[in-house]
Amino acid sequence: MIQLTKRVEFCAAHRYQNPRWSAEENARVFGRCVNLHGHNYVLEVTIQGEASPETGMVMDLKALKDLIIDTVLARFDHKNLNVDVPFFTEAIPTPENLAVVIWDLLAPALEGCSLARIRLHEDGTTYVDYSGERGPAGEPAGAGRAA
Amino acid sequence: MPPEPRGLPLVEVTRTYQFSAAHRMHNPAFSDAENARLYGRCNNPTGHGHTYRLAVTIRGQVSPDTGWVMPGEALDALVRRHVLVRFDRANLDQLLSPADGVTSTTEVLAGLLWRLLDGRLAGAVLWRLRIEETPSNFFEVNRLLLRRAAALPDRPGPAAGGQKASHP
Repeated sequence: MIQLTKRVEFCAAHRYQNPRWSAEENARVFGRCVNLHGHNYVLEVTIQGEASPETGMVMDLKALKDLIIDTVLARFDHKNLNVDVPFFTEAIPTPENLAVVIWDLLAPALEGCSLARIRLHEDGTTYVDYSGERGPAGEPAGAGRAA
Repeated sequence: MPPEPRGLPLVEVTRTYQFSAAHRMHNPAFSDAENARLYGRCNNPTGHGHTYRLAVTIRGQVSPDTGWVMPGEALDALVRRHVLVRFDRANLDQLLSPADGVTSTTEVLAGLLWRLLDGRLAGAVLWRLRIEETPSNFFEVNRLLLRRAAALPDRPGPAAGGQKASHP
């Protein structure tokens, strides 16, 4: 079993706003992120599988790149995530949620190998990893904080 | 929002920090000659230093209200309070106690930082620490490794524990 990773970049605008909250509550929780701003995202897509005895490849990297372009970049690159991506009219376009959306777009599109990890860098100091795992059903929402 | 039938996505979030610190690798249990042989130039009597880069990874469910595992600023404040204010512009050798380890290797430092940060989160867990001593040398401790180590017999095998330092 081999894992391989393709890295791509996309540029997008977003703002954080929970439509169920008042403007004051949004400003208190999200601070400056309530303003429309943008990032140069770096997306690393890791797939895993066995190398084919015929080609020596888990998957043709060009095919993987094309898949990422058609499936992810066509939706996100040089877009306003809140406006142009239907999922984010309700959900907040954080890196966490973006990684989950990208996973859900790519995982069913792979054949002969599987998606291992989505790593999304929002900038040089922050990134998220998602491997398709979910918490126990019915457990209260994360909302991590200092104990 | 109604609870999702599959549960909420579990995501790992990593934020990176840096601190500048001095240290000297020296195990007082060994002779000066043995320390010099073992640690090489890292045993320089007057010390040396690094700009350490620390990547802190937490893991938890994504809140449907915020889209976050936890607010980044809350994690920053935690790392600042428990690590950066103590370790930035400091001499590591004055901060480590013998209980932390024999000397200020980055392995020992990683264990100490894990103990300083672990258990301080609610609604998420500390998942991984990665410390870059230099861009060429990095060290990682994570919850899976610790779980695996805890399940191992407590007597290491004959091959365990490097003997020759490869510290720069």
